[in-house]
Amino acid sequence: MTPFHHLPRYRPDSTSTAFVPNMNIINRRSFLTQASTIGMGAALASLTDIPLVMKRALAEGTIGQPGPNGRTKKLFFIFLRGANDGLNTILPLGDSAYSATNRKSILIDSDPGNPFTARGGALFPESGTTKATFDYTYGLRLGNGFAGMHPALKFLAPVYNAGDLAILHRVGYPRQSRSHFDSQNYWETGTPNNNLIHDGILYRTMYESGLANKLPLTAVSIGSSLPLILRGSKAAMTNLTDPTRYNLLAVPNTPAGNLKADAALAQANQARFADKRDRQLLSLQYQNLSSTLDIFAHLDFSEAGNTFVDDVATDGDQPYYLFPTTNDKNGGYSRAKDAAKYVVPTSAYGHFQNLKSAAMVLNKTSALVAGVSIDGWDTHSKQGAATGAQANLLRRVGWSVYALQKYFKKYADQCRWEDLVVVTLSEFGRTSIENSDGGTDHAEASAMLVSGGGIKGFQADALGGVKRSAVFNCGGDNDPIAWQVGQTGSMFQAQSRYLKRNTDYRSVLGKLIRDHLGATPDQLKRIIPGYANPKESLETRGTQTADKTEIIGEPDLI
Amino acid sequence: MNFHSFSRQLGFGIALFAGLAKSVAAGEGPTVTGVQIDSAGQRATLTFDPAPGTTQYQILRAPRLDQPFAVDPTGAVDGFVWTGTGLAEDTGFFRVQAVEIPPNQLTATTLLQRVAYGPSPDDLERVRALGPDAYLAEQLAAESIPDTLDIAAPGPVWRKVTLSGTGSAPKLYLYLDGTGETYLDEIRLVEGAVEDPAKPNLILNGGFETSLGTNWIVSANLAASALTPDQVHDGSLALHVVSTAAGSSETTSIHQNLPASVVATKTYTLTYWYLAQPGQSGHLTVRLSGSGIASTVSLASGADSPQPLFAKLSDGSASFNDLRRWHILRAIQSRRQLNEVLRQFCENHFVTQYSKSRDYFDNLAYDTTTAGAIATQAEFRENLKWSQALLRPNVTFLDLLRISAESPAMIVYLDTVGSKGNGSNIANENYARELCELFTFGVDNGYDQQDIVQISRLWTGWTIDLVASNNVANPFATRTTNYLDPSVVTNKTSLTNLLGTWSFVYKSANHNTGAKKVFFNHDAAGAVTTPKLVPDRFGAPWAGRDYSISFPAATGTNTIQEAYTLIQHMANQPFTEEFVSVKLCRLFVHDDFQIGYDFTDADTSPEEELVHACMLAWETPSHDGQKGQIREVLKVIFNSDLFHSHTASQQKVRTPLEFVTATMRALRATRPDGSSTAYTDGDLAFALSRMGLMLLFDRAEPNGYSETAEAWISAGTLAERLRFVQAALMPVGMSGKSDGGASTVLDPVGLLQLKAPAAVRDSGLAADYFLDLLFPAEGKANLTAYRTMAVTFLDTADDGVTASPFSALNPASTDYDNRLRGMVAALMTTQRYQEQ
Repeated sequence: MTPFHHLPRYRPDSTSTAFVPNMNIINRRSFLTQASTIGMGAALASLTDIPLVMKRALAEGTIGQPGPNGRTKKLFFIFLRGANDGLNTILPLGDSAYSATNRKSILIDSDPGNPFTARGGALFPESGTTKATFDYTYGLRLGNGFAGMHPALKFLAPVYNAGDLAILHRVGYPRQSRSHFDSQNYWETGTPNNNLIHDGILYRTMYESGLANKLPLTAVSIGSSLPLILRGSKAAMTNLTDPTRYNLLAVPNTPAGNLKADAALAQANQARFADKRDRQLLSLQYQNLSSTLDIFAHLDFSEAGNTFVDDVATDGDQPYYLFPTTNDKNGGYSRAKDAAKYVVPTSAYGHFQNLKSAAMVLNKTSALVAGVSIDGWDTHSKQGAATGAQANLLRRVGWSVYALQKYFKKYADQCRWEDLVVVTLSEFGRTSIENSDGGTDHAEASAMLVSGGGIKGFQADALGGVKRSAVFNCGGDNDPIAWQVGQTGSMFQAQSRYLKRNTDYRSVLGKLIRDHLGATPDQLKRIIPGYANPKESLETRGTQTADKTEIIGEPDLI
Repeated sequence: MNFHSFSRQLGFGIALFAGLAKSVAAGEGPTVTGVQIDSAGQRATLTFDPAPGTTQYQILRAPRLDQPFAVDPTGAVDGFVWTGTGLAEDTGFFRVQAVEIPPNQLTATTLLQRVAYGPSPDDLERVRALGPDAYLAEQLAAESIPDTLDIAAPGPVWRKVTLSGTGSAPKLYLYLDGTGETYLDEIRLVEGAVEDPAKPNLILNGGFETSLGTNWIVSANLAASALTPDQVHDGSLALHVVSTAAGSSETTSIHQNLPASVVATKTYTLTYWYLAQPGQSGHLTVRLSGSGIASTVSLASGADSPQPLFAKLSDGSASFNDLRRWHILRAIQSRRQLNEVLRQFCENHFVTQYSKSRDYFDNLAYDTTTAGAIATQAEFRENLKWSQALLRPNVTFLDLLRISAESPAMIVYLDTVGSKGNGSNIANENYARELCELFTFGVDNGYDQQDIVQISRLWTGWTIDLVASNNVANPFATRTTNYLDPSVVTNKTSLTNLLGTWSFVYKSANHNTGAKKVFFNHDAAGAVTTPKLVPDRFGAPWAGRDYSISFPAATGTNTIQEAYTLIQHMANQPFTEEFVSVKLCRLFVHDDFQIGYDFTDADTSPEEELVHACMLAWETPSHDGQKGQIREVLKVIFNSDLFHSHTASQQKVRTPLEFVTATMRALRATRPDGSSTAYTDGDLAFALSRMGLMLLFDRAEPNGYSETAEAWISAGTLAERLRFVQAALMPVGMSGKSDGGASTVLDPVGLLQLKAPAAVRDSGLAADYFLDLLFPAEGKANLTAYRTMAVTFLDTADDGVTASPFSALNPASTDYDNRLRGMVAALMTTQRYQEQ
């Protein structure tokens, strides 16, 4: 069998069991140690104030090791699945091609009263108690003299102005696939155009930490399935579908009956069987289930436990709930019963339930990585402008980043905001020109958001101007391969149709995995194989030889 | 299969040899791998790895390698360990050999796991008796299998009710909760916690064989009640209960004064039979005064029949949940199991999303309920068309693709509905891309972005409209002018007052009239150069073929033909043949098939060879000249060595749909009276959603649900799978039951009594019966650990500690019922039960 394209140069792992001659022996051994693992889980959950120090298996790097403040660095990812239109997320307001000609029904206008040319922080329009939360419909200026932000991202403005947010435009990878599924896979495996890598970039990061088979929890996603970014065959990462239902039942469904059923399951789990394709996966995930049930049983994921509120008033109102999961916890609705005061659409409650759970897990357990997905970005028709389909999704993103900043500053103890980086991912951007349906089709480069207490964010100068802009690759000071304007400019320079990348997503993730999480350069080459190949130019500015495109290397984020 | 072989000479004279079984005379099965020997004195211990599908591990011994191996009598196998004693020095050479499940049994199981939604007790017996070839031939000719599920109206059914409680007061009431009727027979109340036929019935004339007399006192609201021979469960008469108003107590019921010996300090068991009938909606209550024993049961039958759902789906009154219930009930019950699997394959391959259609119609003019009904219709109609097409012996892939292309559900889902290519309009690329990537060629397989742009223009003009019902097959039909309510004079053009069916129509005015050149190469400036040729890797007969297709500039209604010509062209290109064959192999064999093989490479794998064989079958026209015969491709897969061996058996994880339906089927045997031991009304879509968001008919992403284990198995989804089987196996009324479906009633005790009466009082035999039913391909010798777990469970009290022999429990008791339910649930929560 010889696949006709993309021969594997690198194969750190595989979901196939073909390379494990007898996994049952390995599994049996790990099951025999299960009792102690469960015990450790319980201890972790009840002693949440004591920083956990695990002995590393690999004498390399500091991923998962406590820093000088006694805490470990952690990562939170939000995957925007379906391909977010980056051009209507971070708006190139200074580009004449960002126009009603090209974007007939979806254009976000610049505000004549608040020109994008003004320099300073990001505009955060407040409306007072009588006005709606999202009544501002222009592009929010970002203060670099060129770029704006979709008004549905309004709550990113205070995060940006606090110096906790970096905004990156024109992010992609060589020979961009315009298939959702291939492109999501490439983002998640960290290996563009290679369909033979079946494990995730953050799985490999956890594996390199040496903790993945020692701690019951290293990386967690909250969602319908374990995303590829956390999948791998040598250790199980955890996915929770509904944390409030994460326990088992029994017949009869009594405490004793449950113990009896659990004992039967533990007994069955020790049984050895002949090798089959999915048996190692089942074994690891069953083990993960047993060893995490107790940990999560100690966290209060219930609605009653959702008491986290902002520390400041928005729109002159009382402090809002950080995780809107009901109408009464959604912005200023509870007092005015006015749907215009929602901070997020009512359809976002499930997402904020997941976000809250992920935040709590990251703060209260040994997990180093947590993530959620937001689906629905494939806006082929009726994308909308300041309001509409994409705006409703962006509101989730803006408020999510804002809420995480507040939660980890105000409520978190084991993981503080300065220990955390929050990053958004999306598989590609969308066409620069609108189609006949008021939508956009699959294209190339898109935008990425990186936030956290340790990010090199925006700094104002003494006169209220800009000492350091944190808008990358979209005009202003921080645009090393400058944005070209007009009908032949950056928006059309990829295949004469699409926004051209000048940053590889791997450079962003690589920078975070090395400089934030603590991977060594050698580890990073195993986590992101492109780092071992100078032709990829992931570290410093250069030309990617695959499609002869110049990129900036690593952005100066941290 | 590849067997390791090695030999080792031990210092004190016992030697181990493991070689290929066939090379030495004794034994039949393959030699087992991973064999280790440990010995001390006259004792030796062999440990070895499990081999797939093994019914017995045999230890063979030969004094010398040139002498025949024979079964060694000196020891015993326990799991995967053999201990022999009394061995002399220089005993010789050992070999561990697996006795495999007979090949036909293995294939029979694989068939039921893949071609069907899991083994049911009846099907397992039948396929083992019939043989796999006959079963497969039958399933491949689905049209020859009688299937009346959609048309046979459910009939009345006698149901038995059993419950125990205290004798709160010596008075028995029976009544309905409103207007209605039912039949009642064989009502018994005996002392004790179990139904004991030897004990005297404390109710007089409980068989309703003699006139009601003075024993039964009838209140006015039940005055029309009488004895009848029309519907009888036992004897010659039963009580016909006719109610004109709801009852609640003595003065509104049929009641009997019981002997004063019925007291609250004692336990009693009540049993009775009643007739549930289709169309009934009320409930029957039978209770003691004071409700020490009280039962309320539904009078309706037929909720487990697809027929009423099919009727509603056909007349347009069905809700979305009706569609899902119909789909699930058919998957559980249909004898055309392969067709059910293929119907789901079509649904999932040509994926569409109910809620996108609903929102589309909601935005047009309709209220949400009506919009939902229209969207349900769109999903149902395309599904029914696939189902009907699959009954045709010469059905082709193009037939299935065309149904999808013309389906309003697809036209809305991938945005063709509003796509325009006239004037300066830019066509929507959504359908064009997924047509190439997901429905025909496979990702990056023979097409590029230029082709997508060209194809997107071909589909402009394909939209939908509300047409008169006699016009549904006419793509040039104009909007219907039939009114729902002709008396409404104003606003006649309002959609909500028009009577018709939303159907595919072609609006040539929106069509891109330019010339289109699809599957051509382009120069750097984007100009068309040469036609694309099938790559060399495909080999003969495909390599080098020009597969470009050109459409001249054209206007008018005839341009509808362009898109049809395109799919006709694409349906039988090698890329489509490869991608769809790969998907079918993943569905039926295992997950590790992919597009992109080099078919000219001498170094081939069995997987590559199977895909190649499928493509050759696809390429061979049938007698009607059409390529892409689905059944011919399926035959190649089902007749392959891969499908018939351990390379397919239990190599896949069940999707949520497969997991839920397999659970219902596993315990569903039909009793002589036609009732079954597993009941569900099919309202289980919620469980599929919890197990990883498998939203039937409502997937958001166009790539369909995954076949691979990685997409479905995580700690969170496993918790939901385990909860589901535990709850499904709970008796009615137990806390947590709703997780398994509010209506689900599984009866493992009834199943055991029906299929393995000898096992009813024997924990070992009971465990054996369910092990064989749930893990038929694993082999007895590999299931010893599960068996130990199951037997221990049966022989231990609910506290999990106290010994409590299963054989000592009364099979009619609640304890027995719970014990068996708990054991079956325990087996269904294991890792192996996730597989198929």
